[in-house]
Amino acid sequence: MKFRNLATAALCAIGVAFGPSLAAAQDAGGTFVYIVQPEPPSLASYLSTSGPIGLVAPKIYDGLFDYDNDLNIVPALAEGYEVSDDGKTVTFTLRQGVTWHDGAPFTSADVQFTVMDVLKQVHPRGPNSFREVTSIDTPDDHTAVFNLANPAPYMLRALSGYESPIVPKHLLEGQDLRSADLVNNPVGTGAYKFVEWKKGQYIRLDKNENYWKPGLPHLDRIVGRFIPDASTRTAAMENGEVLYGAYGAIPNIDAVRLREMDGFSVTTDGYSMINPMALIEFNTTIAPFDNPAMRKAISLVVDRDFLIENIWFGYGKPATAALSSNFDATGLYAAGMPNYPASGDVEAAIAVLDDAGIMPDADGVRGSFTLDLIPYGEDWRRAGEYLKQALMPLGLEVELRYEDVPTWIKRIYGDYDFQMNINYFYQLSDPVLGVHRHYGTDQIRPGTAFVNSSRYSNPEIDALLAAGAVEPDADKRSEIYAEIQSILAEDLPVANVFEMEFLTVYNDKLKDHATSALGAYGPFDRVWIEQ
Amino acid sequence: MTFWKLFARNRGAVIGLLILFLMTFLAITAGLFFPADPFSLAGVPMSPPGENGFLLGSDSLGRDVAAGIAHGAKTSLLIGLLATLVAVFVGIVMGALAGYYGGIIDNLLMRFTEMFQTIPSFIFAILLVAIMKPSIESIVIAIAVVSWPAVARLVRGEFLSLRNREFVQACHTLGMSDIRIMLGEILPNCLSPVIVIGSLMVATAILIESGLAFLGLGDPNIMSWGFQIGAGRTLLRSAWWVCTFPGIAILVTVLAINLVGEGINDALNPRLRERT
Repeated sequence: MKFRNLATAALCAIGVAFGPSLAAAQDAGGTFVYIVQPEPPSLASYLSTSGPIGLVAPKIYDGLFDYDNDLNIVPALAEGYEVSDDGKTVTFTLRQGVTWHDGAPFTSADVQFTVMDVLKQVHPRGPNSFREVTSIDTPDDHTAVFNLANPAPYMLRALSGYESPIVPKHLLEGQDLRSADLVNNPVGTGAYKFVEWKKGQYIRLDKNENYWKPGLPHLDRIVGRFIPDASTRTAAMENGEVLYGAYGAIPNIDAVRLREMDGFSVTTDGYSMINPMALIEFNTTIAPFDNPAMRKAISLVVDRDFLIENIWFGYGKPATAALSSNFDATGLYAAGMPNYPASGDVEAAIAVLDDAGIMPDADGVRGSFTLDLIPYGEDWRRAGEYLKQALMPLGLEVELRYEDVPTWIKRIYGDYDFQMNINYFYQLSDPVLGVHRHYGTDQIRPGTAFVNSSRYSNPEIDALLAAGAVEPDADKRSEIYAEIQSILAEDLPVANVFEMEFLTVYNDKLKDHATSALGAYGPFDRVWIEQ
Repeated sequence: MTFWKLFARNRGAVIGLLILFLMTFLAITAGLFFPADPFSLAGVPMSPPGENGFLLGSDSLGRDVAAGIAHGAKTSLLIGLLATLVAVFVGIVMGALAGYYGGIIDNLLMRFTEMFQTIPSFIFAILLVAIMKPSIESIVIAIAVVSWPAVARLVRGEFLSLRNREFVQACHTLGMSDIRIMLGEILPNCLSPVIVIGSLMVATAILIESGLAFLGLGDPNIMSWGFQIGAGRTLLRSAWWVCTFPGIAILVTVLAINLVGEGINDALNPRLRERT
């Protein structure tokens, strides 16, 4: 390893360009082909957080920070930062000598423009991440001073190239952000330059020779291939056509098989900033889920272990609260909440319904309703079929509804024409970014996807959420969130089901691909291929 | 010779009929042999055939594959029959009007029919089901909508050739109404090809339904063979039985219906009758 890196550094230093054929003993060069699935709608990561965009755009755009696997801040475009004592001023020192792929210099004006005019305006989560930012001063080209209305500690966790990509002011200013040339023709400061997008086939990025990290990237080229069929993706992985597939590109059932084969590995690393949670959203405004007892009974009866074991092949952890146990590291997670049994408790569920006076009729039926299924693949259908069966012993009759993505999103987040919906959310690196959107009254935003579709509105929770967002003291903050979680464990506008573990399957030839907490949404700048 | 004797000359047709009877029997008695909901989580997931009390194994959630096939037979046969009946009815009406009246009516109806014929039928069915939201009604409608043009074309052709025959002209001179001529005189004379095409259409309908369910466009609340295959296809390499048995069921049923269709064709075709 050491030798290889030295050799690379030496070769790069004297400017020798070598192709794969010459690189027999080296780790530099080569083309890295990975799965991008489905094909991204655009490459504008500043407009959309759509998953496949994240698989490509962060290789082109840098953020102010990156994060290591323990969620420590790693400097990227910002070399350092300083938070004032009152928490209301954050000063970033920007890296010098960085250029955009078109040769223009990167300056503090780009940061100011990106945050104030782009991310705060059009990014789905940006208005939340930067909600407290009132203005950004640029005393010189390499200093950006964020002025905040209130302290916003979570903001420092939202500065990766995936979450908050820094975009070139000189190519976007004065243009319509949604139709600018940059949308499909990205120009960033990242390790790879955008070269070609063959619709329906692949996106090709080439090495950025002027990348600001010395000696990086090792690879000559990376190619994201779109392969719509799951078994074809597995076959491509098996025969070495592609080296890497993340976010369930390889179905779990195939992943557990590949795990046993020589030359392939499976990891759950690289998702800690994403923090996905499978959950059930209830429409709390109409029957039967306007009654908290019904919601509680469903959270009680679900056999979370069964779902994880039989549908997700053992990858996942039963949810135990409104927050994922991954928030334990920041002290925000509260253990031991009621109504979250790991393997289901039918008697307790029946008792809850009986106590609430929801009694079975002559046919033993206590209620019937429709369950909408997230149309993101077979696993979710199986989960719905399981739920339908699991609710029968309670005397609850479920009809399943499975629609296409736009119809489903409109039904749940536009028309609120649903009773119960199975879904998954990213809780992200801080509850303010990923969890508040479920519960806040201000998050009842008709037409905006993946926010408070339950239309749950509780002044007490609203006050606590507002307090949690601005509380700089860690202990006080965890107290606030403990209270939030204990209220929500009784109210359950959303019943969390399990903490999902996404799988990355990779060929063992591939090295150093998991150096960022963002995993597949990371920059891939240190990746190399063993020749 | 009686119809049955003519039909029985075709050995394959008799075997097909037998299989079809068996399948119908299975469909009718599904609730008897497998009283539980075919979706119920009956036991250990992914049990191979013969183990844990599962005759044909269980799927990833522990549902009984055999129960699914029995209950699925009901769905598949029902959808096949219903969709065919609707398609044949619409096809006969359209074809009869076009063939009998000719001229502008014929022109209009046939251009309308062509509109349907130019769209690939399976893709069209997918589109229709996706628009209407998957349910048993929408699937029957979709299959019927993509199937009727063939019947309409056939019936129109028959009507065209029959409407100038002497017996039809005789009816005209007797002052019979158009409806009566169409229904009472011409239609019975062109029924045999319609019966043949209809029987084959049942098989196609079963295949379309299975294809839709396989693609995830089946009614999620109703067990069908296509659903079983779709649910089992990701398991093909670790639990082959989940989609193999429903696949065999589809194969055998469709084959049987085709054989029967062939037999009916032989029996109703006067030219073949004279040959031997």
